[in-house]
Formats: sequence, structure tokens, C-alpha cells
Amino acid sequence: MEHVDMKQENDRKITPLGFYFALLGLATLLFGMADILVWAGIRPGIEVGILEIAGDDFFRWAWGGFVMVCAGIFMLAGSARVETLQQSAKVVLGGVLVWVIAGTDIFARLCVAIPAGEASPAFLNSCSGFLTEFAPPYTPAMLLIPFTLGIVYLIRMHANDDS
Amino acid sequence: MVDEITRQTVTYGTYKQTLGAVLGDLTVKPLTGIPVAVAALYAFWSVFTSFAGELVTDGFMVKFFDGLWLPWFQAIWPDPGSWHYFLFIGNPAADTCFEAFGMLTSGLFVSVGVVLPAVFVFYLMMTLLEDSGYLPRLAVLMDTVLHRIGLHGYAIVPIILGLGCNVPAVTATRILETKKQRFIMMTLLAIFIPCGAQLGIMMSIIPDLIGVVILCLIIGFGIFGFVLNKIIPGENPEILVDVPPYNWPVKEYVIKKLWNRTKSFLKEAVPFVLLGILFVNLLYLGGVIQGLANLFEPVFVTWFGVPKETVGPLIAAFLRKDLAIAQLSIIPMTAYQMVASVVLVTIYFPCVATFVVMLREGWKELIAAIAVLFVVVFIYGGLIHAVGILLGVA
Repeated sequence: MEHVDMKQENDRKITPLGFYFALLGLATLLFGMADILVWAGIRPGIEVGILEIAGDDFFRWAWGGFVMVCAGIFMLAGSARVETLQQSAKVVLGGVLVWVIAGTDIFARLCVAIPAGEASPAFLNSCSGFLTEFAPPYTPAMLLIPFTLGIVYLIRMHANDDS
Repeated sequence: MVDEITRQTVTYGTYKQTLGAVLGDLTVKPLTGIPVAVAALYAFWSVFTSFAGELVTDGFMVKFFDGLWLPWFQAIWPDPGSWHYFLFIGNPAADTCFEAFGMLTSGLFVSVGVVLPAVFVFYLMMTLLEDSGYLPRLAVLMDTVLHRIGLHGYAIVPIILGLGCNVPAVTATRILETKKQRFIMMTLLAIFIPCGAQLGIMMSIIPDLIGVVILCLIIGFGIFGFVLNKIIPGENPEILVDVPPYNWPVKEYVIKKLWNRTKSFLKEAVPFVLLGILFVNLLYLGGVIQGLANLFEPVFVTWFGVPKETVGPLIAAFLRKDLAIAQLSIIPMTAYQMVASVVLVTIYFPCVATFVVMLREGWKELIAAIAVLFVVVFIYGGLIHAVGILLGVA
């Protein structure tokens, strides 16, 4: 009986890794909510340091914000007992959703950066013009990318389990 | 002997769940699967608009066709007042290829500059979804919703294909089991699913209103699907779907599929766009469009609330719907009229290529689908006008 209780306690325990993903999930959730609220007109737009939430487009900020909210919830839901396979999968799924939003943001910048723009007689952008498009500010999803790399650790951990 | 065969062919072991398998399960459970589907559609649309809209069409094609191609033709083609100038180059005072509406100006711009990049990136994304194993999961996820309109989960395949081109989508309706299901799917495809070409052109002409247009089409798809399910006799059986594990798409297969799909688009669409413009310009020259516009004026102006000049694009829509939407862009209209006329062009008669494929599926079904289509266009067009009046925008 005592053994079962200890096992349950261990199962419930939030490890440092779980704590990390809980924080990441919380940040993702808050960013997602901020995306939606700014789009809804609660605030005209947020620009803090290298972070920017423009909120000017339904598709990017309301729809994308909803995806970020879901990503945050998945990470929070998986952060307790994160080492188990089922819980890890939830965290990984949350991370993948953040990568989807960040990836499309980066791809959108790339697509704007390659052509020279309407005003220029040239077709292709200059090197400096190209790089300028990648300068800050960045969207919340882009800023979260380095922090979501912890998910790669989870993937590798379970890849080792499989082998 | 059975024991011997079993010993040689069957391997026994302990099943161990992998991370990939758990992720696969999560993407078919509604609570986690629906957000993933929403994210997949977000990625699909975002890549589509960034690549086809920002990069290729706005970044290069508009500059090339409006800055070099059109002025060059306007300079070298003789006699701007002649009939051949009108047919091949179009309006001599035009500044953009959308305004010119000649076979060699607007025709090539629409087919190569706008529609080709849209169709290319659509098919690329579609192939990636298909080969990664996500599409069957989407089918499982959509099964309950699609059953409400008489279809089942695998109807998502013709629906998504239809967003690229209605021609393969109509052929793909064969994966549905009963006649009833195939008829409902074919009718809804012909009416409410805009093809990649239309989406590409809408993105160029009405980027701010495209969401409203799509919303009108989704609502219409749901309402008329529900009604058709109620009034058409027949069965709507359940399906068993074999969901494969997730895989990385194989580069060679992706390239091959992409090439085959884009090639068939080039073969079918480009000649239709060029000949379509030629045909419509001939009708304008012969005064046929003006005559039809006067004849149908009461229906268009009073019932649908759109200008009578939209008769011309509706005739062009039978040849190519993308061409028709491009033609709408040069008619002076309010935002409401633009949304209503783009929705009308989309739900109106299927393009001739789709028409031919539908005929191949059975002439009785085609006639029934067209009868439904006329009723839907009349009712839904009037309904949108009524909503516009109630909202004070029509």
C-alpha cells in the first residue's frame, strides 16, 4: 500500500523538465491570448523591445492566436509527469503547433524579402534589403522558437526508448 | 503444415507504443485533433498566400506583365482602334493587365502570372499532407461533421482536391459508396468549392473581402448539403478507415505527383483562359453581351443586387471562373456588390472542363445537378442580397 502511494506521488511530481514546459506553455498561452485580444481591439498593438503584436489581420492574429492558445494548453496539460510517453506527446504536439506558426511567419518574411518591391525598377532585392526584412521586431511565435527546442530533447529521449 | 507456415511467417513480440504512434492518436481525437486541423489549415493558407500572392504574383509577375509585357505589346501592335487590337491586346488605355482584357495580355497574365503559382503551391501542400499520412486522419476527424450532410469522412478528399481543381475532384467522388453520396458531393463541388485558380485570382483582386466570400460559400455548403441529404433518397453508410503511420514524404514521389498535377493544369487551363478571353471579346464585339445584359438586367439588379455588367463575366465563367473574376475587377462596384458577384460567379454553372467530367459520370446526374444549381443560385443569390439589405450594405 505504501509502495503504491509513493509511486502515485512520484507520478504526480513535477520535475524540473516538467516545470520548464509548464512555464513555456503558460508563456505560449498568454501570447496566444494577447494575439487575439489585440486583434479584437482591446489594445491598438503591442511593441515591447523586439516583440511585436500588430493585431491588424484576422487570419494571422485571431486564427494564429487560437493555434497558439491551443499549443499553450497542450504544453501545460503535458507538463505533469512529462517523462511518460503520453504526456511527452502532448508537449511535443504543443511545440509543433508553435513551430507551425513561427515557420509560416518566417516563410512570409522570406517571401516579402526576395522581390525588390513595387517602387524599385529591379526585380530582386539587394542583399542589405533582404537582410533588413529579418530584423526585429518579431512575432511571439518566432521569439518562442529557441525555447521550444527543449522538445527536441523529449523526442530524442523517446527515440532512445524505442531503440 | 499450418504450424510450419506460421512459424516461418509470423513474428511474435511485445507491442511497444512509440511517440509517433501516440502523436498519431492525438491527431484523430477531436479534443486535440481539431486544433491540429485548424493549425494545418492555417499553415496551408499562410504558405499559399505568401508564396503565390506575395512572392510570385505581386513580387515578380505584376511587375513583369504591367511594367514590360503590356507596354511592349501596346507599343508594337498596330492600329489601337482595330478589332484585332481589341481581341488580342484589349483596352489601349489600360495601365494593368487586369484592365486590358486582351488574349495576349490578360490571358497570359491570369493563367501564368496569377493562377499557375497558386495551383503549383496548392498541389505541393496537398501532396505533402497526403504523403505524410495526415489526410486519412483528417478524414476520421471530419467523419461526424460530414455525416450531417449525407457524406462520410473520406469526402474530405474531393473537397480538398476541389480547392485545387474541380475536374479531379469530380472523379474522386467515386470513392464515396452510394449514388446519393456521389450526387450530393458532385453538386456541392460544382456549386460551393472554389478552385485554386479562383482562389488565386480572388487573392489578387479582393484580398480584404476573400474571408467574407469564403464564409458565404462555407455557410451555403452546410445549408444546401443538409437540405440535399434530407430530400434525396438513399443510404449514407459508415466507413472503416485504415490510418497509416506518419511518414516523411519521399522527395521523388512528391516531385512526380506535383509535376503530373501541374502539367495537367497547364494543358487544360491555359488554352481555356486564352480562348475564353477571345470568345468573350468576340461576344462583346458582336453586341451579344450588351443584349444579354439588357435582357437579364431585372434579375441581376433587382434580385441579386449587382450591376447588369456582371452578365459578361458570368458568360466567361462557363469557360473559366478565374477569368470571370478577373473581369469583375474592372467593373465599378461597391464592396457588397463585389462580394455578391464573386459568390455568384463561384456558385454559378461549373466551368466547361468540370461540366465535361460530370457528364462522363452520368448525364442524368449532370442534369439533376444543374437543376439543383439553378435553384441554389437563385435562392442563395437572393438570400445574400436580403442579408445585405438587412445589414444596410446593399
